[in-house]
Amino acid sequence: MDMTRRSFLEGLGQIGGTSLLLAGMEAFGMGIASAQTAPPPLQGGGKGKKVIILGAGVAGLTSAYELGRAGYDVTVIEARSFAGGRSQTARKGFQLTELGGETQTCQFDDGYYINHGPWRIPFHHRSTLHYVKQFGIEVELFNNDNDNSYIYTTQGKGPLARKPLRKMEVAADARGNAAEILAKVTQSGALDKQFGADDKALFLEYLKTEGYLEGKDYAYRGTEGRGWISKPGAGLHPGVPSKPYAFTDVLDSGAWRVLASVSEWDQQRTMFQPKGGMYMIPTGFVTKGGVGDKIRFSTVVEKIRQNGRTVDVSVVDGTGQRSVVSGDYCICTIPLSVLKSIDNGLSAPKQTAMNGAAYAPVGKIGLQMKRRFWEENHWIYGGHIYTDDMDIVSVSLPSTGWLGPKGVLLGYYQFFANAAKVSALTHAQRTDFALSFGEKVFPEYRDSFETSFSVAWHRVKYNLGGWAMWSDESRARDYPVLLEPDDRIYLAGEHLSYIGGWQAGGIESAWMQIAALHKRASVA
Amino acid sequence: MRLSLLAPALLLAAPALAAPDGASLFANNCSACHQAHGEGIEGAFPKLAGNAFVQGDPKAVAETLLNGRGGMPSFKDQLKDDELSAIISTVRSSWGNTAPPIPPKTFTAIRNGAVPVPAKPTPGH
Ligand SMILES: Cc1cc2nc3c(=O)[nH]c(=O)nc-3n(C[C@H](O)[C@H](O)[C@H](O)COP(=O)(O)OP(=O)(O)OC[C@H]3O[C@@H](n4cnc5c(N)ncnc54)[C@H](O)[C@@H]3O)c2cc1C
Ligand code: HEC
Repeated sequence: MDMTRRSFLEGLGQIGGTSLLLAGMEAFGMGIASAQTAPPPLQGGGKGKKVIILGAGVAGLTSAYELGRAGYDVTVIEARSFAGGRSQTARKGFQLTELGGETQTCQFDDGYYINHGPWRIPFHHRSTLHYVKQFGIEVELFNNDNDNSYIYTTQGKGPLARKPLRKMEVAADARGNAAEILAKVTQSGALDKQFGADDKALFLEYLKTEGYLEGKDYAYRGTEGRGWISKPGAGLHPGVPSKPYAFTDVLDSGAWRVLASVSEWDQQRTMFQPKGGMYMIPTGFVTKGGVGDKIRFSTVVEKIRQNGRTVDVSVVDGTGQRSVVSGDYCICTIPLSVLKSIDNGLSAPKQTAMNGAAYAPVGKIGLQMKRRFWEENHWIYGGHIYTDDMDIVSVSLPSTGWLGPKGVLLGYYQFFANAAKVSALTHAQRTDFALSFGEKVFPEYRDSFETSFSVAWHRVKYNLGGWAMWSDESRARDYPVLLEPDDRIYLAGEHLSYIGGWQAGGIESAWMQIAALHKRASVA
Repeated sequence: MRLSLLAPALLLAAPALAAPDGASLFANNCSACHQAHGEGIEGAFPKLAGNAFVQGDPKAVAETLLNGRGGMPSFKDQLKDDELSAIISTVRSSWGNTAPPIPPKTFTAIRNGAVPVPAKPTPGH
């Protein structure tokens, strides 16, 4: 889906040789130092200069906070009645009306919520964590991997398909059996061409450890790590170890397909979430960061113009009043899916380049359960139930309110055509659809259900999609065009980063553009 | 609470080997945005009914479906060429539209040999 950064650089290198390659890297804020971990120093300040910031998502909030600190006079124009953009959290009373859909009012009990947008912060998102620390936002661990959770396949075959399997069992059996086969092949001499005797011995030793193999025949006979039939206890209870599944059954089930899902860079532990919901991130900017006073809420950008000296933005506020807000510069963080159909006055190359990004349809649903049966009966504390049913993708258990009375879990998190399909359902139908899957994994699911809240991001006004996606061609052809300012207008947001679909992308894109703006404003 | 409100047409898979049904594929994949009768939503999702672009150059239309643009997602990895052809041919001949079908080979040519990659069961962001 995404062209790698390296192949992008190679592409640049082909066009103009190494010097252009390096110039390109500098221009796109990817010099040798690479991804930034702190905001740019805006030396000399920006006193007397006015910047209009369009959008109060994390990109707009970051721009407003940092430019404001440097002395710029900033005004943020935000269409919604609250800050944060996609960084929103549904709790009691939160309302959402999708385009073409009904109005939902969240009915969760007090204190319960679903992060229907961003929900987790990986350890390497230094930029997001920078503001967590700066504003003293309380965080807790987000359990992104759980050995005791279930895998449920719908497309597999054999006795293990369409059955909840413990992830620890599938992981151990897949590793164990694969290692055993490889060890036997190695022992038979089939790999002697690849290995010297020393390496061969080491490799066998590695396989033994990796796959829990026993004895001279390097056999996998199970391991404690795949769980117990009866747990060890006091007195005369040494425990009864579990028995491995037949390897062909494991292979047939397809359950192994999901094992690699949380091992990717973006998904590795440690993972955080703000206490009380992701909305605490924008709240930090608004309250502790003091950005709140600078935001004009419920004010929609209708038209953008510039004349070489000023940028003039025509807006309409919540009462229907129209006005023009003018400044020396503008940072526009409106998602491209939305900006495209605004009378934005941008140059022709920018108009064309905006077509290069496609936005991902994404759907989520939060289900409030009257008791935490996944913890009480199944001993699953957080993490995800994975499935190959692409209309569901995962059911995720909350990493908050541990061992408490109730909980809100995520009933599905689907993408692309699957998300488009599920979003054609009414909210009640989506709920039933989610329950019909969940009850196959947890018998308690449907009866424990109380109330739900769903979102289809592609139908959410002012977003029209979960996040931007660039094809290889458009990343090379269009993306660089949008990184360049259009005279006094700088575009920013998650869509202008290689960390797309993450808050860090929005923040770091803002850092890059305010640095560029400041550089220009300092000489002007 | 028990709900059984699912419209069966929306969730049942098409029978294997049958020719793809453009109308139900449209309902599944496109109607959430372009609405049930291609009427669209002003400022967000263009109207497909009576739309000149839709009835125009087959290649440009096929490219839009395969690659997406703006709020329009790419369907390259989710739908096969015969399915895309069935959907768009239905769209081009419904709701007052009167353009000829776009055959699967128009999509195949644009893909230029690239095979659809099925989405992997990995959580997003
Ligand atoms: C389902 C989902 C899951 C995600 N998971 C994660 C995650 O786990 N971790 C993570 O870090 N990130 C995650 N993300 C990505 C993250 O939410 C985004 O990358 C980030 O919030 C984008 O910030 P932004 O400022 O670029 O855009 P936005 O937050 O979209 O801000 C743009 C702002 O512009 C405003 N606007 C739009 N049109 C107008 C107009 N005409 N006039 C005035 N204002 C306007 C909008 O109201 C909005 O406030 C997820 C996103 C989704 C959808
Ligand atoms: C997630 C919402 C969404 C879904 C689902 C969707 N579209 Fe679109 N579609 C859009 C948007 C938004 C545009 C406008 C794109 C742009 O120019 O920014 C569009 C544009 C188009 C266009 C070009 C229209 C024009 O006037 O330029 C065609 C044709 C089209 N869609 C067909 C389809 C078909 C067929 C499907 C189903 C396979 C589909 N769309 C599914 C949102 C969607």
